[in-house]
Order: sequence, then structure tokens, then C-alpha cells
Amino acid sequence: MTVQKIREKRAQWEEKILKPALDRFNLQESPNKFYTPAEIEGFNFLEKVGFPGEYPFTAGVYPVYPYAAGTRGGGAIQAAPGLRRAGRYSGYGAPEDTRDYYKRMAELGAKMGPNLAMDLPTQCGFDSDNPNIRGEVGKVGVAIDTLRDFEVIYEAFQGERDLDKIASNFTINAPANIIVSMYLALAEKRGIPWSKLRGTPQNDILKEFIARGTYIFPPGPSMRMFRDSLVFFTKNLPGMNVTSIGGYHIREAGATREQDLAFSMAIGMEYLKCGVDAGLNIDDFAPKFTFNAFGGSMELFKEVAFQRAARRMWARILREKFKSVKPRSQLLRQPGGAHIGRTSTTKQRPLNNLTRSIVGAVASAFSGSPPNASPPYDEPLGLGWSLEAIQLSEDAGRILQYEAKLTEVMDPLAGSYYVEALTDEIEEAAWSELEKIEAMGGAVAAIENGYMQREIARSAYEQQKRIEKGEDLIVGLNCFTGENEIEVMVNRAVPHPYDEQKREEAEELQIANLKEVKRTRDNRTVNRLLQELKVAAGKEEVNLFPYFIECVRAYVTEQEMCDVLREVFGEYEPSENL
Amino acid sequence: MESKRPIKVLIAKPGLDGHDRGAKVVALGLRDEGMEVIYSGLRQTPEKIVQAAVQEDVDVVGLSCLSGAHKYLFSEVVCQLKEHGKGDTLVICGGIIPEKDIPMLKETGISEVFGPGTSVKKIAQFIRENVKESSLAGD
Repeated sequence: MTVQKIREKRAQWEEKILKPALDRFNLQESPNKFYTPAEIEGFNFLEKVGFPGEYPFTAGVYPVYPYAAGTRGGGAIQAAPGLRRAGRYSGYGAPEDTRDYYKRMAELGAKMGPNLAMDLPTQCGFDSDNPNIRGEVGKVGVAIDTLRDFEVIYEAFQGERDLDKIASNFTINAPANIIVSMYLALAEKRGIPWSKLRGTPQNDILKEFIARGTYIFPPGPSMRMFRDSLVFFTKNLPGMNVTSIGGYHIREAGATREQDLAFSMAIGMEYLKCGVDAGLNIDDFAPKFTFNAFGGSMELFKEVAFQRAARRMWARILREKFKSVKPRSQLLRQPGGAHIGRTSTTKQRPLNNLTRSIVGAVASAFSGSPPNASPPYDEPLGLGWSLEAIQLSEDAGRILQYEAKLTEVMDPLAGSYYVEALTDEIEEAAWSELEKIEAMGGAVAAIENGYMQREIARSAYEQQKRIEKGEDLIVGLNCFTGENEIEVMVNRAVPHPYDEQKREEAEELQIANLKEVKRTRDNRTVNRLLQELKVAAGKEEVNLFPYFIECVRAYVTEQEMCDVLREVFGEYEPSENL
Repeated sequence: MESKRPIKVLIAKPGLDGHDRGAKVVALGLRDEGMEVIYSGLRQTPEKIVQAAVQEDVDVVGLSCLSGAHKYLFSEVVCQLKEHGKGDTLVICGGIIPEKDIPMLKETGISEVFGPGTSVKKIAQFIRENVKESSLAGD
């Protein structure tokens, strides 16, 4: 059957079958589409898809799903970790509060290392005693000022869960090198060699300029900090990833699917170039790159296609543009996969968000990642999820995996005329946007000239206009809101295990903690080390990592180090022309 | 009526929170509604916001925060506006604000809290109905 024949047949079908139906419903055009082999003419399976774990990795980056290993026997049920709360992004209040939280999670069976959420002052390079950041200490994460705070948090991780037996994730960007230095100094104090450490700092500063906003220094010096981490990690930290790139933050900020993919790839390429320019071999450091979970909409098939396109695109970039020869370098590794956006959730009839998150979980299962139903349904109701919402979210994923058996087949939509066409379409659109950015001079240039920021704001506003016009429909928000619909109230009786009282008191406690550190440390050494850091920062070719480690050991605070760097590097001043 | 100048709005991001999608969308939307809109950018202290509100002599201040620091930051802005003789400024806010915090915010002088899913049209309508008439007389 040739494509030509299919096209002829389509023309006949449209005339004889489709048209009368449209006439009967009084429609100008069909509300539905139908795909045939003609829409993916010349489709070459080995070139476009290939086998799981093989280039171009469209079907998946591994030959088996790591999370599905051992899920067939009864033994797997025994080993199932129960609620996976400890692996979750968590941390709040003073270091003592976060330590106690992780201890409690350990009592409930958590075996994993922390995925540390840090408060905004820490993420922006301010100490807890800074009067300009009042009200923020310990709110969205734990407050960290000095090595002392790492020592306290990690009291929850000893013995069976000591630093050489767990992986730690740090959601930290601008001051990532300082925070990692604290981890290294802590390992040293415990007599654990750096080579045994596993973990991932987010360390993706470029997306902070276009989404999320926790930048400190201008893009140029920020890339120097990134280079320092890349070189230092490659030489000294074999078990640590360097970065967790982009993903959903850019989409949450308003980018379209294609912009998200193009911007994330452009940012990834900028980091790869940085390593090559520093004299590293691409295959020595590219395997240390990871990606944050890509996702952000309710459109199931498009999110599946997005995942497939992203894997193929990153592999092509590594092989074709950077001449990587090691397959491991070409893997787009994500801890999670497709999911709906936080922006897809509604405050109106919030239990509907569970239904929504399951659509994202199905997309995830269909595109090679665990069927995580995220976020829990009470996401838009305030900071922190209730345990009931977390339970239902965990159960949804388990039901999809064990009862619906969605994860039995890898890349189950491969070969679907529709999904293959969509995958090509998304990848092509992203390549053309990426070329535009390359022509500007790459991601840093496209941030410095404000292009990415403007495009994202514009897309966000376009979406809002579509919602207000009713072109995009959201149940319970701009449709099905009549008086016959009833408001479904939810009971959140089991609150998140964070202690609200402690969160409120954290600022005061942490200011006292910091005061005590400053009183008992050797302040002459502190001043000398800060002076040395300043001199080194002024020399572009010097790697600052060893200087940070020295400072951290002497209990120099995060802001003291950042202030020295602010003097040398300057601070980022966004242009806010809308 | 024709002599009325456009309503002047300052959309501001107090604190360190970097989630600016909502603030930018509201800023662009109110501009399309015919208002004169200034967007502060990220990381503004209450002092800086009040200073801008006084300097630009705005009629409305819209505050956005998703980091949980709204109680302290929003109240500070309202208090300092009063101290600077701008107590008649219409102050509205949005972000991820738990229901239980809303009464406290309204008590401090926030006129309305617009949560996720609010249309820009609704915000614009609220502003038109509540902005102090005398401040809009033609000059």
C-alpha cells in the first residue's frame, strides 16, 4: 500500500463519507483528525525510534525501566518503600526542624537521602540575620547559613544512612558551589572520602534568569561559577552529577511546549560548550548532566511526544554537535517524567486536580517514566501538601503501575501515526527555535538581550487571554460553573508533617544560631579567607571551589562569601520592560 | 468623565519570591484594559515598593507573592503606605494565599485577595469600582 494510494483514498473518504457527516451536523470542518501512514511518510523505525537504551533513545534511555525492576514477584511488595516521602523535595524552618522532620520520616521507613529544599534567602545568597529579607527565613525551605547548619540537618543521616550510603539532592543554583562545599566539608569531618559521595545539585543558573528567579550574579560570572563546578566535579567527585537542567520551571513560567524544549536544549548546550572550552573531554563530563522532569500540560499525547522528542534531540545534539562517542553521554536522564503543570491545577473544586494529575501520570507511563501523579491535589491551596493528598497521589501511581499495568510495555505509542507525527512536529519546531537562539549567540546572549524572558511572558499572557475568551476550557474555572454544579469541599485533616509553629519561629531561632557561630569562630581567619577569595575571584582563570571549601571549614557564612563575589562580579539587574 | 486620567497601577513583587508569571500577566492584562501599569520587577522590599508608589503617585498597588511570606510583607506595605500619607491607595493582592490568611490580610487594609484562576477582567472591574474617585479627577 503506497502513500499515494492512501492519499487518494483519503480524498475519496473525505468526499463520500466525511462531508455528508459534516453537513448533517452543520459543520464547516471536522472537530476530529485522523492520522494515516501518509502523515509520517518515509518513517524509518531504526532512525527515528530505535530500541530502548540505544541511539537516538526515542523509546527510552535504558533497556529496562529502572523503577520497574523486581516489581513482578511478591518480594517487590515487601521491598516497596511505602510512602516515598523522604525522597521528596523537603526542608523547612531552622536546620533543627528539618533534621527532626527527616528523623521522623526515617521512623516511618524512609531509606533515601534528602532532597533538600532551601529557603529563599539561602537561594539568593543572604544570611538569616539580614534585615532586608525578614519574613522569608525557613518558609519555602530550610535556612542554611554556615557549615554548622549542614552538621545539624545531617544528624538525621548517620550509620545506615551515612553520607556514603545515600544520595543528596540540593535545589540550589546561584550559590550551588558554596552549598556543595558544605557537603564536602561535612564528609571530610566524618572521614568519608569525596569519591564515595552521590548526589545532584540543581546548579542550573541560566534558567533562573528566565524562570524561578533565584539569580545573584550576571550571566557571565554565573557561567564562570558553573565552569568551576564542572571542572571540580569532573576531577574530584565521580559519584555526583553536575546539574539538573531546566524542564518544568520554564513551562510553569509560561513558555509553550516548543519554547520549553528549545530553551532547555539551548541552556544545556551552553553548559556543554562551557566544559569543552575549559578543556574537558565531552565524554568525561556529559554523563554528569541530568534534566529536571519535563512536563507541564494536560495534553496527554503531546506530552508523550514531547518526552520522545526531547530524548532524541539531546542525543542528536551530543552526537552531532559535540561529537560525543559514549552512549552514556547522550542520555537525557530525568528523575521523573511527564506530568501536568502546577499551573494546570485549580483552586476551584480542588479534588479535580487528582483527576488531572492522573492524566499526567498516564503520559509519564506512556513515555518511559514512573506513573507519578503529581502534584497532589491540594497544590493551589497553600504551601505544603496534606498527607491525605500525598497518599492519594502515591496510590494513583501504584494503581496505574500494578493494577492497570501501564508500564509493561516500553514506548507503547511508538509507531502510532499520530504520535510519531507529533514527535517530529515538536522536535522540528524546537530545532527551528534553537537555531534562532544559536544565531543570537546562544542561551546567554538570548538571556542578556531579554529575548527568552519576553517570549515567556508573552506566551503566558496569550494563554491567559485564551482562557478568558473561553478558547482554552478549564472545568470548574471558565466552564461548568453553573448553579447546578456543586462545590466539592475537601477535608485536609492530616496536615503535612511540618510544624507550622516551628516554621513561624524559625527566623528567631536561626538568627540566634548564626550569632552563636559568629561568636565562637576564629574571625581573623574568616577575614583572611574572605580576602583570599576576593583576590581569586578577580582572576577569571582561577577555580574558586577550593576557596569555598576553605571558607566553609572556617564557618564563613554563605552571605559573607556571596558579598565578596557581589563586589567582584556585580549583581544581575533584570530589565523589566514588559 | 472624559477628563479623567487613566488609573495608575503598580504591580509589585515583595520579597525574594521569583514566581512572576501571575504578576506579569496581570500587568499586561490591566494595560490592555486601558490602565497605566508599572511593574516593579522581582525582589522588592516593602520600602522600595512604597517609595515607588509615592514617587509615581499610583492609585492602586497590586502585590504578588507565592513564597508564604505574604503575611509579613503585605502588611508592611500597607502600614508604610499609611505612614507616607498614601493610605487611600487601593491595595490588592494575589498569589498562593491560604484561605485562613485572608481575614487577617483584609483587616490590615488589603481590599481584595485574588487567588489562582481569577480573570484579569474581574480584577480590572474591581479596581474601577473601588479606586478612589477623587484621585482620578483630571489634572
